[in-house]
Amino acid sequence: MSLILDRRRFLGTAAASAAAASFPMRGRAATPFTMQAAWINDAEFAGYFIAIDEGYYAAEGLDVTYLSGGPDVIPESTIIAGRADLALTTPDTTIKAIVDQGAPFKIIGAQYQKNPIGIVSLVSNPINEPKDLIGKTLAVPPVNVISVNAMLALNGIDPADVNIVPYAYDPTPLIQGEIDASLDFTTNVPYTISQQGVEATSFLLYDFGFTIYNDTVVVTEETLATKRAELVSWLRASRKGWEENFKDPNLWPPKWKDTWFAGTGRTIENEIFFNNAQQPLMESPAGFMAMTEEGIEANLRALSEVGIKGTREMFDTTLLEEI
Amino acid sequence: MAAEPKGHWRGLRNAAVLLVIWEIVGRLDLVAGGALPGFSEIVIRLYEDWGDYPRHIWATVYASTLGFLIGNALGIGAGVIFAMSPTMLRLFRGVNIAVFALPPIAIAPILVLTLSGMAPRIALAALGVYFVTMTATVIGLSQADSRATDVIRAYGGSRWDALRLVRFRGALPSILAGLRVAAPNAVLGAILAEFGGGGRWGLGAYLLGSLGRGEPDRLWGIGLVATLIAGLSYAVFAILASRTLGATRAVTLNTAVPETDTGNRSLAVRIALTLGTIALPFIMWWGFIKLTGVPELISKTPWGVVQYLFLGPTAESAQTRLLAALSETLPITFVGMAAGLLFAFLLAISSRLFPRAVEAFLPVALVTQTMPLVALTPLLVLILGRGTSLTLWVTISVTFFPAFVTLAQGLALVPRSAEDVPRAYGASRWTEMRMVTLPASLPYLFAATRLTVPRALLGVMIAEWLATGKGLGNLLNQSRGFLDYGMIWTVAAVSVLLSVLFYQVVVLVEKRVLKRLGMTTAE
Repeated sequence: MSLILDRRRFLGTAAASAAAASFPMRGRAATPFTMQAAWINDAEFAGYFIAIDEGYYAAEGLDVTYLSGGPDVIPESTIIAGRADLALTTPDTTIKAIVDQGAPFKIIGAQYQKNPIGIVSLVSNPINEPKDLIGKTLAVPPVNVISVNAMLALNGIDPADVNIVPYAYDPTPLIQGEIDASLDFTTNVPYTISQQGVEATSFLLYDFGFTIYNDTVVVTEETLATKRAELVSWLRASRKGWEENFKDPNLWPPKWKDTWFAGTGRTIENEIFFNNAQQPLMESPAGFMAMTEEGIEANLRALSEVGIKGTREMFDTTLLEEI
Repeated sequence: MAAEPKGHWRGLRNAAVLLVIWEIVGRLDLVAGGALPGFSEIVIRLYEDWGDYPRHIWATVYASTLGFLIGNALGIGAGVIFAMSPTMLRLFRGVNIAVFALPPIAIAPILVLTLSGMAPRIALAALGVYFVTMTATVIGLSQADSRATDVIRAYGGSRWDALRLVRFRGALPSILAGLRVAAPNAVLGAILAEFGGGGRWGLGAYLLGSLGRGEPDRLWGIGLVATLIAGLSYAVFAILASRTLGATRAVTLNTAVPETDTGNRSLAVRIALTLGTIALPFIMWWGFIKLTGVPELISKTPWGVVQYLFLGPTAESAQTRLLAALSETLPITFVGMAAGLLFAFLLAISSRLFPRAVEAFLPVALVTQTMPLVALTPLLVLILGRGTSLTLWVTISVTFFPAFVTLAQGLALVPRSAEDVPRAYGASRWTEMRMVTLPASLPYLFAATRLTVPRALLGVMIAEWLATGKGLGNLLNQSRGFLDYGMIWTVAAVSVLLSVLFYQVVVLVEKRVLKRLGMTTAE
């Protein structure tokens, strides 16, 4: 039943063969390391799946346990509770938690240089820019309400002018016209909607001033102090996984049909679309997972617009430099 | 349920008629532009998707079975202790009412925060089981034949011997009846926690993954499978009961927290007991947190919640948000509860006046009870939109069935001889109903009200969480997104306290009214 067991066994053999091929880590016992993802298993995490399956983490001496996320998982909670060493989060909720509650978080990397969340609508009733939302019904996952309010404020729109309802990640209400637009990953939902024979259009919040990262790599200060070497190793192996993934975005998703993607209820074609669509949002001249000074500055500026006063100290770029 | 063959066939015919209507309505996309697919479309889709199901079903069955076993072990153990010691029963009254009244949706996020892996699912399943089994055990044990226990005593047997040799055997039918009701509870509890708990496997997790696909036929398929598992778990214990006892019993729902008479104790002891009763749930809450060892930032003790709500820097904003949410949630909860009771009441009366029509409706009603609400709500949104009517319908659908069962039971128990009096004087069926049957079933109306209190709050919060974006349900959901842990605990604590409060109010009113009318409480 347990995929983890299978993976462990696989990692065991991978590590063994790695040792035989005389990798530098030979002889060192693998350190257990747990990561909490931000969502259910889909192409969003392809780089990590490759790094696990191909033994990149094992080669770095890490025995990675991967915890799936989902709409109702709060990734930050898992690291506070000590059930994971690292979590992929949205920077707005993370920084808000640091500011409001003194949560001991540090952001050490960022998967998406441009946040893929955007406003999705139908071509037959298009919402092409923030102003089009006035007087419309927009479904937003409660986690993302701050992001939407920020984007509206940045574009001079009173959030009260938009009817915001909870979004359960189900595109049916949009297809049926019950809502006018929804906030979702633009890398994903337009494909799902097209499968229902309807054409969708979308724009990124990023392109309208809400310039934040997504899937920021977050650790507690304690983990940063005690497991620094492992975190650098994780970043290095993850970057390698993503580089491998984008050599051919169509190559990997079909391989995971019966492993990572089993039972998610999604199709492989959907994942291939996703994997292609996310490439431009992840690439950075500084390499995958990078955080540049300009990028951090843009994040802080956008968040301050909604009253979340983050500081540069909440980001730690020194681990990336060690890769 | 001792149906004669003729009744059996009628049931099958009714089911067939319903399926045909469903098929036609679904095929023609008459409901919300195809949100309700035809039955055959759902079954075909189920067949196509079948490869996905085994691991999801296994995870759900695994969690609910473990929860069922743990909840029953606790329920029977506690029931035995309570039946032996009225003091313990009195002391745990607060805990028992809290477990009975807590809306699962409010504590699911807390369990997910404090426990890991399968544990939140198992815990929620166990909580759904504990109360039913505990009450069934207490009632079963206290109804033992006193002559048989006297024999044991006379031969020098201890209380334990009496328990083992007589009372436990006598209690078996009651306990088995409790298990029958508890089994589907465990399944629904596990699915609710899956929906809010992450993890890859389980029908709730599958439902979440599939929500994003916009394919109603699959959602209905998952809902039907969940319904089937819950229904089967009920059937297993119904068959078990009929095999071991040789006869089946009617569905009975216990709505009363067992009580003891404390009249002959000294005032000081009574005050101490009352204080202990109130303090115990909070002590257990505190103990749970200390035991799980989850950091203070995430898990709040009772004192932590007080600090958050009254003393901390964000206290004022927290109070404002909580009060705003309550003012949205409470009115609709009362209206929904009243509507659910009214519907149950009308249904119960009609079942006397037009038994065959109601009989045809009951299979549908049963399905709405075993279909997980979290699966049903997104589908209802497409049909009803996101307004007040949706909240009302969700609330009615969670409240009416148990209320109906209780009320129908009450109506059926009215003495024939009393009903014969107006009939002899030539009164109509309706006059007879009004003058005799309804007043006589008043205790059952109260029992039904007690039962609907916590369920109404659950229904409203689920609708708010998933659809309307208002009130306590939304506050809970949003607080999770904002990592506002203080608010998550506050909402959970407040909703449990409110449920307990409503319950106590109903109990007080009930006692007053029934005392004046010279009636006794219905169990």
